[in-house]
Amino acid sequence: MRLGTNPEVEKFRAEFAAFLDEHLPTAEEATERTRSSSHIPEWSRRWQQTLFDAGYLLPGQPPEYGGRNATLEQILAHQEELSRRRIYHSFNPQGLGIIAASLLTFGTEEQKARWAIPLLRAEKTAALGMSEPGAGSDLAGLRTRAVLDGDHFVVNGQKVWTSGAHDSDVILTFVRTDPDAPKHRGISVLLIPTDSEGLVCRPFASMTGPDDLDFNEVFFTDVRVPRENLIGELDNGWAVANGSLGHERTLLWLSYAERLEDLIRDAPSDGEWYASLQMDLQALRLLGYEQLSGGRNPAEISLLKLLGSEALQRANWHALEQHQQDALIHPARTAPPNHMAHDVFTTSWFERYARSAPGTIAGGTSEIHRNIIAERILGLPR
Amino acid sequence: MEFEFDEDQLLLRQSVRETLAKTRALSEAELWSTYTELGWLEAPPVELAIVLDELGYIADPTPFLATATWFAPLAGRLPEGSGTGVFDGGGRFVLDAERADEVALLTSGGVVVVPGPELAAQRLDTFDHRLHVAHLTDLPTGTDLVPGVPELALMGLAVTTVGACRRVLDLVVAHVKQRKQFGVPIGSFQAVKHKAADMYLAIERARVLAYYCALTIAEDDPRQHRAALMAKAAAGECQEVVYRNGTQLFGAMGFTWENDLHIYLKRAVAANLLLGSATVHRKALLTMEVAAL
Repeated sequence: MRLGTNPEVEKFRAEFAAFLDEHLPTAEEATERTRSSSHIPEWSRRWQQTLFDAGYLLPGQPPEYGGRNATLEQILAHQEELSRRRIYHSFNPQGLGIIAASLLTFGTEEQKARWAIPLLRAEKTAALGMSEPGAGSDLAGLRTRAVLDGDHFVVNGQKVWTSGAHDSDVILTFVRTDPDAPKHRGISVLLIPTDSEGLVCRPFASMTGPDDLDFNEVFFTDVRVPRENLIGELDNGWAVANGSLGHERTLLWLSYAERLEDLIRDAPSDGEWYASLQMDLQALRLLGYEQLSGGRNPAEISLLKLLGSEALQRANWHALEQHQQDALIHPARTAPPNHMAHDVFTTSWFERYARSAPGTIAGGTSEIHRNIIAERILGLPR
Repeated sequence: MEFEFDEDQLLLRQSVRETLAKTRALSEAELWSTYTELGWLEAPPVELAIVLDELGYIADPTPFLATATWFAPLAGRLPEGSGTGVFDGGGRFVLDAERADEVALLTSGGVVVVPGPELAAQRLDTFDHRLHVAHLTDLPTGTDLVPGVPELALMGLAVTTVGACRRVLDLVVAHVKQRKQFGVPIGSFQAVKHKAADMYLAIERARVLAYYCALTIAEDDPRQHRAALMAKAAAGECQEVVYRNGTQLFGAMGFTWENDLHIYLKRAVAANLLLGSATVHRKALLTMEVAAL
C-alpha cells in the first residue's frame, strides 16, 4: 500500500493533458448535439479519430486498436484526466466500451479489421441486443432464434431496450442457436447490420420526454446474417455475454465516479448528504483501485456497481430536494454548458435525478447484484 | 497510488489472526503481554490498522487501542506499560484512563505526560463491559487541557468498528446458513441475502476509508485530516447498518445474553460514540469543505 505517484503514470498523464490542451475541439466546432447513444456528431467523429490515431482512445490496447499498451494505472489516469475536464469518452459508449471491446476479445482477425476498427474510429456505431421482452435479469431465457441455413443464419425474434439501435450500423445480437440445450448453452452472438432486410427498429421515448429517443424495440423477421458474422464459437455465446457484461461492469464504476464528481461540483451544500456523497465517491475510488490491482474476488465488481449507482441516485435526489421549488424549472441548466459531454449531464435537477434511476436497473439490477454478493462472496445458499 | 496489501502486510494479518485464534482463553494481562512481545504496538499506521481491525474482530479487552492510538501520537513515543491520551479539552470519556501506566495530556502548554496512578480517574459503567472508559476527576494544578484529536485516534476507532462489524457479519452469515425454517436455510431467502449484502457493502465502504486514512497518516500526507473525518463517519454509518440488519437477521437469538453477538454489536456502537459519531464527523467534513471554498 502506498499513496505515492508513479513517475511512469505521471509522465503519461502530463503527455495526455498536453495532448488534450492542444487538440480538444472548441465549442464553436461542436455545435451539433447528439440525439442518441449511437449518433456521433461529425465533430465528435473527428475527435474520436484523433484519439484513435494518437493511441489515446483505448490506451490499454495496442496501437492498431487505438491504444499504446498502457498499464492499468495509466488507463485510470487517462479516465481521470477526461473526467476532470468533463469530457465524454465516446458518444457511442456501448460501441466503444462493449461491442468493440468484445470484438477485440472474441473476434477473429478479420472481424477485428472489418468491424472493430470502424467502431473504434467512429466510422460506424453499434448497439447491444441482449434484453428481450421475456429476458431481462434472466438473460439466459432469451428466445430470439437463429437457424443455420447454408452459409447464413436466419434470425427471428425481438429485442428491447436496445439503446441507440435506430442510429446504429450494427447490433451485437444474442440469439438462441440450440433450443434443446440447457438454457445457458445454445446461445450464440451475431453482429447484424441494421440495414438487413427484415430488421425493423422502433425507437420509443424515455419518461424524460417524448423526443428522448434512445430505447428501441428491434424486430427480426427472417433476417439473413452471413455465417462469418458469428462472434465467438457457435452455441458458446454465454462466454461472450459474460465477457461483454464484464467489460460493461468493469467500466461502470468509473462512470459512476464521474457522475458523483459532477454532483460535488454542481450542487455544493452544507447538508450532511453532501458529506456522504464525498465519502461514497472516495470509497468507490478506493474499492475500484483495489479491484484493478487484481487478486480480489471478481464478484466484488457487483459491490462497485451497487455502491456507485445507489450513491448517485441518493445524491441526485438530495440535489433536487435542496433546490426546493426552483427545481421545478425544466428544461434548465444545472451546470456550465459543456460541449464535450452529453447535454443530459447538465440538464434540470429533475432530469438528472430521473436519469439516475436506470443505473440500478441496467447492467444487472441492484437485486441481482445483492444476490451475487450474498452468494458468491458471503457464501449464502442459492 | 497502490491500494492493496503487500506481502508483508498480508503475512502480518495472517499471523495476527492465527495468534488471536489461539489466545481466546487468556486473561487481559496475558493478552497484553502477548501483543507487546509480538511488537504489535510498534507497528506503523497501516500495519497498526491491520492489527486493530483484528482486535476489533475479537472486541479486545486490553488497553491496546488507547496505548497505540491515544497515547503514542500525543507523546510521540510508546509508554512504559500501557498508556492513553487526553485530547478532548476536558478529560471526559477517556479510554483506559483509570488503568493506564502513563497518560499524555494535551494542554495549552503542549503535551504533558504524567504517570497514570498520579491521576484521579473514575471508570464509568458503560454498556460495553469489556471497554474501559473513565472521567478524570482531578488534574494536576495548573493543567489547562485543550482539544485536539489526533487523526490516528479517529482511524483507530474507525478500524476497530470495521473489525467488530466484520465479526457481526460472520456470525450472522453462519447463523442464516444453518438456521432452517420452511424446510430451507433462511440464508436462501432473497430478503435475508439482501440485508446481508448491505452489511457487507457498508463494511467494505468503511474498511477502505479507514485504511486510506491509515495510509495518509503513514505517509504524513496533507489529506490525513479529511481522510480521518471520512473514516470515522463511514465507520459510524457502517455500524448502524450492521447493527440494524445483524440483529434482524439473527432473530430472537441475537437478543440474548448467552449469544456472543451483543459483544461485537456493543463494541461497534461504543466506537461510534467515542470521539464523536458519524453525524459529528459528517458535519466536521462539511465545515472543512466550506472552509476550503
